[in-house]
Amino acid sequence: MAFVLTAKDVQRMNGVLNQLMARAEAQGGMVCDFSGHVLTEVGFDSQDPMLISALGAGVFAASRELARLLGEDEFSSVIHQGEKRGLFICAVDRDTLLVVAFSVSASMGLVKLYARPAVAELRALFAAVQERAESRPSDEQSFVLNDAKEWFGSEEKPTAP
Amino acid sequence: MSFINYATREIQLKIVYYGCGLCGKTTNLQVIHQMIRDEAKGSLTSLATSQDRTLFFDFMPLSADAVRGFKTKFQMYTVPGQVMYNMTRRLVLRGADGVVFVVDSQWDKMQQNVESLANLEENLKLQGDSLDTIPYILQYNKRDLPNVAPAKYLEFVFNNRGGLRRPSMAAVAPRGDGVFESLNLIARLVLNRFVKQHGGKENADQQFKLA
Repeated sequence: MAFVLTAKDVQRMNGVLNQLMARAEAQGGMVCDFSGHVLTEVGFDSQDPMLISALGAGVFAASRELARLLGEDEFSSVIHQGEKRGLFICAVDRDTLLVVAFSVSASMGLVKLYARPAVAELRALFAAVQERAESRPSDEQSFVLNDAKEWFGSEEKPTAP
Repeated sequence: MSFINYATREIQLKIVYYGCGLCGKTTNLQVIHQMIRDEAKGSLTSLATSQDRTLFFDFMPLSADAVRGFKTKFQMYTVPGQVMYNMTRRLVLRGADGVVFVVDSQWDKMQQNVESLANLEENLKLQGDSLDTIPYILQYNKRDLPNVAPAKYLEFVFNNRGGLRRPSMAAVAPRGDGVFESLNLIARLVLNRFVKQHGGKENADQQFKLA
């Protein structure tokens, strides 16, 4: 089945992310799932959020397996730090991740500190989403496919890759 | 697992290209990226070794107006085909809504193809899914090479699960032959299942045939 978010859910998530970014002086915040889908993002304007989500999910999933090899349940967070910017990734629940981009002038400690209450709020939100999905079917519209022979077409012959 | 965002009117779906090493998974995505119009694609990202062997995955987002009132985004992934990267394949396969299983049609690749399909089945089972339920198609790639098995043989070996035939497609990926046909086919199967799960109206032409 699908993971369904209403406009209200997204508004709440954006509120959590905005608050986290303001407190931690971060530059961007994103919630994604372990499949790499972007649930919502704030501040990743010039980057490709879908790509960050796909790579972040891959990185975190790989780190999780590394943790298991070392006898841990998982590593609670993954941090990448460059010369100017860094990335903090942690699990919200078993299906979703929080990704925070920060400049190195911001304190990593602040990001970790304020990520914790943000994760708690997001976890509660997703628990409510899950409960809603289980207790009643969606009362939004049903879906209809557009009539088209093909949705993807080619424009030119390829040169050898 | 698909994702519906009513705030942004977006549906996100994940399609994974699977198969043994060097069967043409990455070539499929490269050709799609090269040939599709710019508005429909994002950048193609490949996490690969210096010898261009996929190490983690290739990723490319595509978008289409497939569902009325919604923007449909497809996340296209390939897995690394080499045997030792099984754990990575499991990670990439997580949450897949559809699979394109790419078969290397050459005779001397048959064992690897069979092992890869068994591996796909095993990894799907580990995440609570199965080849009997997930939408997938078979792409018989490299049909232009001289030492390839006949299509009927490939159908017999790979498309014979419990009497139900899956859609299959011949392909020569570097030339683009069969690439977009495979893409449109798997997109249709994935979306048909999606609308069916949500009580909507799927297209009448089902693509499934009984043997």
